[in-house]
Amino acid sequence: MASNEIRNFREMRDFREKRDFREQSDFRDKRSSHERLNSYEERTYGEKRTKNTKRKKKEQSEYFFDYSLLFIVLFLMGFGLVMIYSASSYQAFLEFGDSAHYLKRQLIAGIIGLVLMIVVANIPYHFWERFYLLGYLVSVVLVPMVLTPLGVASHGARRWIGIPGTGFNVQPAEVAKLCMILFLAVMVCKMGKGVRSMKGFCVMVAFPMPIVLEVYIITKNLSSAIIILGISVLMVFVASPDYKKFIFMALLVLAVAALVVYLVVSGNDFMAFRGNRILSWLDPESDPTDTGFQTLQGLYAIGSGGVFGKGLGQSMQKLSFLPEAQNDMIFSIICEELGLFGAVAIILMFVMLLWRMMVIANNAPDLFGAMLVVGVMGHITIQAILNIAVVTATIPNTGISLPFISYGGSSVMFLLIEIGLVLSVARRIQLKEL
Amino acid sequence: MLTDNNKIFHRKKIFVVFLLCIGAFIGLFGRLIYLCVWQAEYYARMATDLHERERSIKAARGRILDCNGKVLADNKTVCTVSVIYNQIEEPERVIEILCKELELSEEYVRRRVEKYSSMERIKSNVDKAVGDRIREYDLAGVKVDEDYKRYYPYDDLASKVLGFTGGDNQGIIGLEVVYDTYLQGEPGTILTVTDAKGIEVESAGERRIEPVSGLDLCISLDMNIQSYATQLANQALATKEADSVSILVMNPQNGELLAMVNVPEFDLNNPYELPEGTPENITSEETQNILNSIWRNGCINDTYEPGSTFKIITAAAGLEEGVVTPGSSFSCPGYIIVDDRKIRCHKIAGHGSQDFTHTMMNSCNPALITVGLRLGLDSYYSYFERFGLKTKTGIDLPGEAGTIMHKKENMGNVELATVAFGQSFQITPIQLLTTVSSIINGGRRITPHFGIQTCDKDGNVVDVFEYPVEEGIVSAETSATMREILEMVVAEGSGANGKVAGFRVGGKTATSQTLPRGSGRYIASFIGFAPADDPQVIALAIVNNPQGVYYGGQVSAPIVRQLFENILPYLGIEGDQNEQN
Repeated sequence: MASNEIRNFREMRDFREKRDFREQSDFRDKRSSHERLNSYEERTYGEKRTKNTKRKKKEQSEYFFDYSLLFIVLFLMGFGLVMIYSASSYQAFLEFGDSAHYLKRQLIAGIIGLVLMIVVANIPYHFWERFYLLGYLVSVVLVPMVLTPLGVASHGARRWIGIPGTGFNVQPAEVAKLCMILFLAVMVCKMGKGVRSMKGFCVMVAFPMPIVLEVYIITKNLSSAIIILGISVLMVFVASPDYKKFIFMALLVLAVAALVVYLVVSGNDFMAFRGNRILSWLDPESDPTDTGFQTLQGLYAIGSGGVFGKGLGQSMQKLSFLPEAQNDMIFSIICEELGLFGAVAIILMFVMLLWRMMVIANNAPDLFGAMLVVGVMGHITIQAILNIAVVTATIPNTGISLPFISYGGSSVMFLLIEIGLVLSVARRIQLKEL
Repeated sequence: MLTDNNKIFHRKKIFVVFLLCIGAFIGLFGRLIYLCVWQAEYYARMATDLHERERSIKAARGRILDCNGKVLADNKTVCTVSVIYNQIEEPERVIEILCKELELSEEYVRRRVEKYSSMERIKSNVDKAVGDRIREYDLAGVKVDEDYKRYYPYDDLASKVLGFTGGDNQGIIGLEVVYDTYLQGEPGTILTVTDAKGIEVESAGERRIEPVSGLDLCISLDMNIQSYATQLANQALATKEADSVSILVMNPQNGELLAMVNVPEFDLNNPYELPEGTPENITSEETQNILNSIWRNGCINDTYEPGSTFKIITAAAGLEEGVVTPGSSFSCPGYIIVDDRKIRCHKIAGHGSQDFTHTMMNSCNPALITVGLRLGLDSYYSYFERFGLKTKTGIDLPGEAGTIMHKKENMGNVELATVAFGQSFQITPIQLLTTVSSIINGGRRITPHFGIQTCDKDGNVVDVFEYPVEEGIVSAETSATMREILEMVVAEGSGANGKVAGFRVGGKTATSQTLPRGSGRYIASFIGFAPADDPQVIALAIVNNPQGVYYGGQVSAPIVRQLFENILPYLGIEGDQNEQN
């Protein structure tokens, strides 16, 4: 009886794989002894699935929609809007005579983003598969576009491209992040088992490099370059069963970072710009006027908030003391106004977001979907971690915004598109499988 | 399907990623706890410092009161006018009004008003009336803060004793410096919360730290005696066309100074005013030199050769050591030969044969040189030190000069001889007064002083100052003998001009030629005390470079006489009825 069911299950699965995805040849591979240990799990799942198959066509409503994820994202965005208004109203009134200036712009971007998210969530994610190469090429071309007359400079860096006629600017790095997630997800599936070999690994790491270097060299945006690289490494890490390579890589990165810090501290002047940042990170009070200023002002805000904060709207540091209060440094204003509790609440929301995405990735109907979700998860989490680390002066200062909360139209739109993708993947999960 | 067979490692890896991220979040959580709990106080304080702009409130400086409670140094309310750049709305009007009201040049005011700073002081020590007028214009960005300015009701009275204060309420010279810590008090602050551009955050309000007023200083100086002595000194200055006249009045029993006059004095309410006839185009350094000489307290800051008044010290040493008695006889041929030098007496014909009391009455140089030589160098030098002449008196005024004396190993008999009658070394007038006081008061070396105690606003005594007294400088017998001898000097000797009808006065005159010898410049001085048998008051008058008659007995003794005639009854000192009869 049991063997019949397994056979039955295998047939069913083969059928679905053909339908779902072209080249999952590994599935027919012989199982290793390790994987056979999981036969119990398969058996139990198999039972359910047998019934499932029978009812599949008529029970579309049992497909999954992740309301928790949607709620967390909406919460973060709503919270972000409140904090943007709190952090920016004073400055906005001084500059534009309208204390809701930043709030309105963010709200518009948020609404557009939500619409895009719903649209993307309703398109089966396999639709995007065919654009993977196009996306990659667009990223490669788009980043240098900042140097053309379309490029827009602000905050002392040339990182934006103006969309003619709309007044909105787009950061090509945001486009590149999204395209990189798509590209790598497709590549992982295309390479199949090849990704496990050294060669495959090298190829996977080599692909994002041109864009990473472009972003770093052309737009001088180290943080975006790090994020793109981080997303890529994370996706390769998930795609490959190996650990050693990654542990080695992590140690290598740590060693290089330690070396750089050592070189800067010992007064080697071969890294002037970044060197200052590192020095002011190690001792922000030594340089309170220039590079260390923002870091120090952020620390003042965090410290003066204490455990319970000064209360919403009571921040002093937002009164022109802290540069970019509504942007990269918004987390320190949250700490000042809402204290440690507010900060912990935000961190918990990100942890829940991470958890939801992990659940979706683990239950994704296929590898492509899983890899997409892993990419988005990597993007949001790396960015959140780096932002909080920068604000708390845990790592040297580099401009990274806090996902969903910081002010930044193009950032929030692309993040919502990514969430749309995740929701789209989630919709393909059958409820019974959870 | 990731749940399927060999794809299980993907789930595992995703879970590993999840755990890594959770780990990172937990790390950041720890960091946040460190910042928000452990470091919170530190950063909150730094942030508050950054947000608050301070305006200080001057503390009222303590007053200075004389021994009868008369106020010698007081405060009056004045205003400080400042501008706050970010709050000025009509800069042109502000400049115009401030120029007009404060009588400042437009260029100066414009520079201050247009300077980008959080707060710029335009003028301090503005009259309250002017400050009130400016306040009535109600100009945005102009602040008028009231504070205190030092005010001296008697202008130049005891100017070099009291001293004056600078713009920041700090003492510059005199008692104002020495008792600065008591007088100053703690300035307060008004803390206003501002944004980064210095604009006040209205909802935050002000935090005010109240200033603590300084303590009042009660001094031993008697305003009446001081002003009378000043009058006498000015008289002598005018009639004798002297360079300067100093009068010191002290209680020899405890060292309390009743008057210290150095004419010409200066106006404490305008201490920086240069004397008339000063050329206008002088450097600031020259100006400072002139001011320093005006502010100089000759009784303390300058040394001089005491001359014959120092014979008191030689005589006391001789009596104490037993090398002479009042009855010892001396013979003065008009000179004395010491080693290879012939030192003349002021009376060229000589005083002939005389006892020791008469040598003092005649102020005979050879006799006192003989006493000095009898003591010998070692003994004389040790008395010099024992009397405290080599140390400072410790008076509570700044800049006391030390004694300029030969080194012992460089002294021979000639030097000893000259020192014995008060030449070839220099001491300050206060040093002479203190040493003579210790000899006549029974041998207690007292510390001359002004400061008695400090009081708070309500008159409660806060600090009482105590001063060291060294007992046994000379024996009580020597002291009594000296009093008798000095009384004889005034009664029948060279100090006869110091005699006050109805009182027993002791004293000694001196006429010292200033260096270089032969310049024709003299210092005439007289030191007198009363009553001679129990001294309650001692006075020293020094006339620097008098024209015409220059003898101490003629120039200075009458000053002390006039002083005593008035202050002895005033101080309630009983006269000697027998003598009066």
